[in-house]
Amino acid sequence: MTKQIPPIADSKAWRGYDHQPTRGELQITSESDIVVARQAIRQVCATLNFGLTDVTRIVTAASELTRNIYQYAGCGVMRWRALVEGAKTGLEVTFEDNGPGIPDVEQALERGFSTSRGMGLGLPGAKRLMDEMTVQSTAGKGTIVQIRKWVK
Amino acid sequence: MAADNISVLKLHDVLLVTVPPDPDDPTVTALQEKILQAMMRHDARALVLDISTVQTLDSFFARIVSETVQMAALMGGRTVVAGMKPNVAVIATQLGLTLGQAETALDVDRAFDLLRMPAPAPLPAKRLES
Amino acid sequence: MATETESIQTPASGLGEDSYRLLVESVKDYSIIMLDPSGHVVSWNEGARRIKGWRDEEILGKHFSIFYPPEALQRGFPELELTTAAREGRFEDENWRVRKNGTRFWANVVVTALRDKDGTLRGFGKVTRDLTERKQAEERIQQQSREILELSTPVMQVWQGVVAAPLIGSLDSQRTQQFMERLLSRIVETNSPVALVDIMGVPTVDSQTAQHLIDTVSAVRLLGAQVVLTGVRPAIAQTLVHLGIDLSDIITRSSLSAGLQVALEILSLRVVPKDGQ
Repeated sequence: MTKQIPPIADSKAWRGYDHQPTRGELQITSESDIVVARQAIRQVCATLNFGLTDVTRIVTAASELTRNIYQYAGCGVMRWRALVEGAKTGLEVTFEDNGPGIPDVEQALERGFSTSRGMGLGLPGAKRLMDEMTVQSTAGKGTIVQIRKWVK
Repeated sequence: MAADNISVLKLHDVLLVTVPPDPDDPTVTALQEKILQAMMRHDARALVLDISTVQTLDSFFARIVSETVQMAALMGGRTVVAGMKPNVAVIATQLGLTLGQAETALDVDRAFDLLRMPAPAPLPAKRLES
Repeated sequence: MATETESIQTPASGLGEDSYRLLVESVKDYSIIMLDPSGHVVSWNEGARRIKGWRDEEILGKHFSIFYPPEALQRGFPELELTTAAREGRFEDENWRVRKNGTRFWANVVVTALRDKDGTLRGFGKVTRDLTERKQAEERIQQQSREILELSTPVMQVWQGVVAAPLIGSLDSQRTQQFMERLLSRIVETNSPVALVDIMGVPTVDSQTAQHLIDTVSAVRLLGAQVVLTGVRPAIAQTLVHLGIDLSDIITRSSLSAGLQVALEILSLRVVPKDGQ
């Protein structure tokens, strides 16, 4: 009667973006995961009520931040969860890595989007596209970027 | 794998390149390479980039396209970017992404119409954001 | 609801087991049920009867995936909920569920892993709330907002290849975004290389508004079309110059009809003889 739940690794639905839509994660370990991340977020957004342009914004931001992980840390993880605050619904996506970190977050955010070539390329862009963004980074330890968008 | 799904067609002296819906980074880089090689091989005077199925235009893609336009211009070719989706255009504008000197057209047909007319005078480099 | 896995012994708050049973059983607004570790229903309450429709004798022993719509079953959501709850202690979700009679309801669901003091998984507690009404109300409000916005910023095709959008009222960020999206969609739908944007009905143009208009023009250009800005009244022209706003690479006219004339000129220039190069 006390049958055990099959271990996580065996569950056929355990593949980052096949998760139940309101929460999940995706390991970023290779260049091809950037496009997997885009598709995962696109699928997640399809279950929420975002308009097409907002979906494109979120997917674009995810693409930028996932590429950052791959380019500067080599590997990391993207996690998402649906947000509910009273009548508001939204999506929060977190990008975490143990890479070299961003030495000057303020500066990274200020740089003109199309001209920045160094660390944090894509950060100012993601900030412009999303409603909220927080960046925590320690040189040598890693970076956590969290973005949020609310359904309008 | 990267170069397989890119089609580069030659119509007289114009290259038509259809970009796949959600190209990964290696595909985008391979695209640039393929285009430039084809421009040289066929002495093409113009390039039509069909992006009508592209859903995401992130900074990497924009940068490679922008570079390609510049490179094509250096090799003596005009570029027309055709079929940008409305939601992509909104975001490109929000991010201040520019396609450089590329002309734009609603679709591939209109791109070819555009190429029959003389090239517009190059605009002064103008930033979209202040 | 508890966020930790906790012992299912009677907690030290003073109620006997019978009282707990009465508590759970009587709550009508929440479906509070228990599943065994593999997901079969082992307890049912009044709320579950009301929300999901099943009677005790029909549902006890059945697998809880019966509450899920087909698309969720395809993706393996039921197993995933249990796996997550087993691993993290709890799982929360808002999504569609299915009643006994086949109709759907929008549910807020919390699944809690129930462990005894050795940590052995004894089963899962599942609390479900029917939020269909709230969800429908939200969707109605959103739909109405969209409709209001559409009515106030129509984009009409006025000629083969020309769309016109008279803007009325002030342009804030939100409104500009939505206007831009609709204008661009219509341009693509109607395959129109020229868009007349008439600002006669815009009371004041400050730097913000001007920036919104410039953004709109840029986006339209990326698409492969162009904007003719019409309805630029003397007062607006003065304000723009005084603010130092440069609209020199946008075609502007003082009236919609003048704008239409320009549009037709642009279109006729584009009619190229097909025989020559």
